[in-house]
Amino acid sequence: MSERRLRQLLDSTPTDERAEARAWELVHAAWAEREPRRRPRRRARLVLAFAAVAAIATASLSQPGRAVVNAVRRSIGIEHAEPALFRLPATGRLLVAGPSGTWVVAADGSKRRLGDYRQASWSPHGLYVVAAATNELATVTPTGAVHWTLSRPQIRFPRWGGTRTDTRIAYLTTSRLHVVAGDGTGDIDAEGLPAAAPVAPAWQPTPADRHVLAYVTTRGCVTVLDPDRGTVRWVSAAYADPRALAWSPDGTQLALAARTKVVLFDARTGRAAAVHVAGVLALAFAPDGRLALLRDREVLVRQDGRLRALFVPPGGRLSGLAWSPDGRWLLTELPAADEWVFLQTHGGRRILAVSHIAAQFGAFPSLSGWAS
Amino acid sequence: MRDAQRGSAAALEHLFRHHWPRAYRAALLVVADAAAAEDIAQESFLAAVRALDRFDRRRPFGPWLHRIVVNRAIDWGRARTLRRELAEGDAPEPAAPGREPAGHAQRLAAALAGLGPEQRAVIVLRYLLEYTPGEIAELLDLPRGTVNSRLRRGLDRLETVLREEVE
Repeated sequence: MSERRLRQLLDSTPTDERAEARAWELVHAAWAEREPRRRPRRRARLVLAFAAVAAIATASLSQPGRAVVNAVRRSIGIEHAEPALFRLPATGRLLVAGPSGTWVVAADGSKRRLGDYRQASWSPHGLYVVAAATNELATVTPTGAVHWTLSRPQIRFPRWGGTRTDTRIAYLTTSRLHVVAGDGTGDIDAEGLPAAAPVAPAWQPTPADRHVLAYVTTRGCVTVLDPDRGTVRWVSAAYADPRALAWSPDGTQLALAARTKVVLFDARTGRAAAVHVAGVLALAFAPDGRLALLRDREVLVRQDGRLRALFVPPGGRLSGLAWSPDGRWLLTELPAADEWVFLQTHGGRRILAVSHIAAQFGAFPSLSGWAS
Repeated sequence: MRDAQRGSAAALEHLFRHHWPRAYRAALLVVADAAAAEDIAQESFLAAVRALDRFDRRRPFGPWLHRIVVNRAIDWGRARTLRRELAEGDAPEPAAPGREPAGHAQRLAAALAGLGPEQRAVIVLRYLLEYTPGEIAELLDLPRGTVNSRLRRGLDRLETVLREEVE
């Protein structure tokens, strides 16, 4: 075969107009969300870099730096910061994942590394964990035994739903929604649906033997569908900058955190009611239906239609939320202080902190769930 | 590129439309899976958009994009090979109807599929994207001799397979 002929054949490989349209929608959305910035001058960049390094070194190495951290702790009411995770304040097992892999933490503080997975979540009854490395989806037991694996490119946000006897796992590959059965068979790519925004899909907790999934499109529309039947139940209006989705424990409400508000949808009709609280980054329902909202520097709880602040650190950004299985404790993270903060929400107002999290896990992990 | 960096949506669209077909084709020819090719090309463009402000305008956009596309496609191909070893007979790759190459191009795609992902990548970079062996060596961080040998072996293999099919 001549090189010219080979070039002709390669050039005649057909492209896909629908793929191009989907990609353009996504690329344009990503471009529209970015904030153009001026190029800083090299000198300014150097000064900033030195300042940042100096600040980190001061805070992490010096005695005065440690004193500042302690003062911050006292001022926010942390009665005692344990130097290591000796135990959880409630029963259950905590799942965390990050650059150093996925870990299960038992109530007595013992930790088990499940593997080199950067994202993970519990199965509906806490019997298994679904975990994702960049190009691999895996289900593993809490003792680390691999059940099955599936290779797909750029896997994110694996979420497991269903009943004890029939489960499904949803995940994203870049912007495509996939659903696979809990035993690893029948993986489908929801090709006909609009591209997914980088928000974890959420399974409706329903006792009936059916599977209902919610995800957010790149336009910011919440879509609720039955993947087994291939039917879409409802699609919401578009909301700017969607960040998180969560179902209420009884499956009657679906909450969406967007840039300027939290939206509560009726599960059956899709009718929306807005809670005007801006900048919510994460949300999580307690087993009794209370809704915890995480903002940059604040944890709020919504109960009976009223919002109250639960925790406001004077410095440092918060990340992550996880309710204990009994709903009495809420865990959040203060990565800048290298701490986990346990907030008591029932029977008292204690705040317990655990330090040196990064050293205990190899890197500071993200909270992925607290199962019974 | 300059106008896209300054915030022109039209310039960004021009950049996307100009580079998408080759990026998608390159990914498709390396991974031989339409859904994966779409993901790889799409994610490569997203990476480009996220890094738009930091991009050095004096450098051409194409080679930078192609480096991302081809390296991701090679990684995907390796991961799939590994999966075959782990779970032979598991759920097959979903193939979207009407999106597979047809005719001569289909035969070529089938012949390419018989090569390893690294070899496919070298063929695609040389004969679809028109890079010289020296440029390919730089893009893939390989010795030039390795690029030349992969090209030669890849071409020989393609010629053999395509000739057998015709006969």
